[in-house]
Amino acid sequence: MSLQQLLNGVSLGSVYSIIAVGFALVFNILKFSNFSHGGVLTVTAYTGFLIATRFSLGLPLTLFFTSLAGGVLAVLIERVAFRRLRRNKSPVIFFFVSSITMGILLENLITIAFSSNFYSYPKFFQRTILEWKGFHMAVTDFWMLVISLVVLGLLMGILYRTKLGVAIRALSMDPTTTLLMGANVDRIVVATFFVVGILGGIAGVFLGINYTLYPQLGQLIVKGFIASVIGGLGNLSGAVVGALLLGILEVILTGIEGIGSGLAPVVIFFITLIFLILRPQGIAGKIIQEKV
Amino acid sequence: MGISVSVLVFTCISIIGVSGVFLITGLAGMFSLGQASFMAVGAYTSGVLVVRFGVPFPVAAVTGTLAGVLAGLLVGLPTVRLRRDYIALVTFGFGEAIIAILNNLSHITGGAMGLVGIPPMTTLPLVLLSAVFSLFFVWNFKFSKYGRQCIAIRTDELAARSMGIHGDGLKLLVFILSAGLSAYAGVLYGFYTTYVDPGLFNWTRSAEWIIMVFFGGLGSLTGAVVSAILLGTLPEILRFASEWRILLYCAIVLVIINFRPKGLLGERELGIIKKKTTPDTGRAV
Repeated sequence: MSLQQLLNGVSLGSVYSIIAVGFALVFNILKFSNFSHGGVLTVTAYTGFLIATRFSLGLPLTLFFTSLAGGVLAVLIERVAFRRLRRNKSPVIFFFVSSITMGILLENLITIAFSSNFYSYPKFFQRTILEWKGFHMAVTDFWMLVISLVVLGLLMGILYRTKLGVAIRALSMDPTTTLLMGANVDRIVVATFFVVGILGGIAGVFLGINYTLYPQLGQLIVKGFIASVIGGLGNLSGAVVGALLLGILEVILTGIEGIGSGLAPVVIFFITLIFLILRPQGIAGKIIQEKV
Repeated sequence: MGISVSVLVFTCISIIGVSGVFLITGLAGMFSLGQASFMAVGAYTSGVLVVRFGVPFPVAAVTGTLAGVLAGLLVGLPTVRLRRDYIALVTFGFGEAIIAILNNLSHITGGAMGLVGIPPMTTLPLVLLSAVFSLFFVWNFKFSKYGRQCIAIRTDELAARSMGIHGDGLKLLVFILSAGLSAYAGVLYGFYTTYVDPGLFNWTRSAEWIIMVFFGGLGSLTGAVVSAILLGTLPEILRFASEWRILLYCAIVLVIINFRPKGLLGERELGIIKKKTTPDTGRAV
């Protein structure tokens, strides 16, 4: 493994980490795996594409507007798919089915609107390759890494330095007590979904730049899911570590003769399986137990 | 006539698949987003055996189903003891892995172009008989000791375990059985259309089956059958484009899950034969 591969792996992993964190946040407060996040990724990837091509904005403004759109979309999803379930205190299975349904719904809306054609983002930068002491890095990869790190830093700031962050963490520990303390649980959940949608919007644009645009793009949510499993479900820093590991692993696997990008998912599947057998609680080591 | 026969055949195949999903999701409360990939295992194993090695159809069909069972064992063994979320993830990952393998072993499977030239062996009587047999099997399973234990596990796993129900073994059994049923559905599918490609077996098909079980009522086998017929046949007859059909499914599920969480029939079963039904717990799960 060369340092160059490590660098590429980290920049891929940083995009995965944005997905994984968005995924883990919802898992934290509502305790279910939110597959609708994949739908958010798809829709925002296309939204970003429209914004970038129609208004020919640069990357920063595209990211800004797309993440706002993602936030609004996630809040809408919460309203349609989860609000009533929360009120009814439905079992976790229902949340799960609801989120899968929402994911499929959004994917198919995009398929209908754009058909199954492939699109690609306009080029945001003049130069395509950065060179420094013999290391090469695509300019987009570089900015993805930087922006992802900044976003993760901001998120940590929000979670540990603001009132909203305290509320979100309280909700993840015990919803009933949070309610008893006089917090408006509905508002916290909506705010969390907004934050998650923003993360989804940023990840969507990056995925759209990295790959071509196609309606099934949102299925890359599974990378965030795998990263969360490796890191420990619901654990934010674990999810980031897991995502970086996954990114590096994928770059290495793709480079190996005989595996390539085609069979990499197979190897990743077996590694995940082995991981689940040996250490189901993930790297972070916190087991989430079902309470009686 | 030709169209109505093919609609009937596809509905029967979908009933077999849905009865497998009913076992795993309806009874045991596990989510498999990779049921379609067990279907792929069945379709491809039997198809390749016949096309490339000239094995007779009955042998190939049995081998294909057994291959599905084996794949179910491989996936189920490490995962059934984990949280339900993990089961969904692993089966999803398995689906991706199967599609990747099928695409890459192009000298055997035909790759993305698909496997062509499977002889048309699936006939209407065979499919009808298979569907009836699968339903008979699942129906008896539901009202057996195992079925009742499954419902106990779905409702409250911890309580069920404390009553002495061997949770992991039972869940593995159910997982394998449903993988076998899906694989058999795949065999029938492949030998009816005479052509399979990896894109046919993506996770939306698995999700579609789960949606059908939910639509009919989580604990009701007859409900699942009714919804497989309704959701599978109506759009074929009304000639919807497939994207619109899926949109319709999703809308239905969202409405059901929000306003009638028990589904069409809840826990009840339709039927002429009066069976001793399981006590209604009052809640769907």
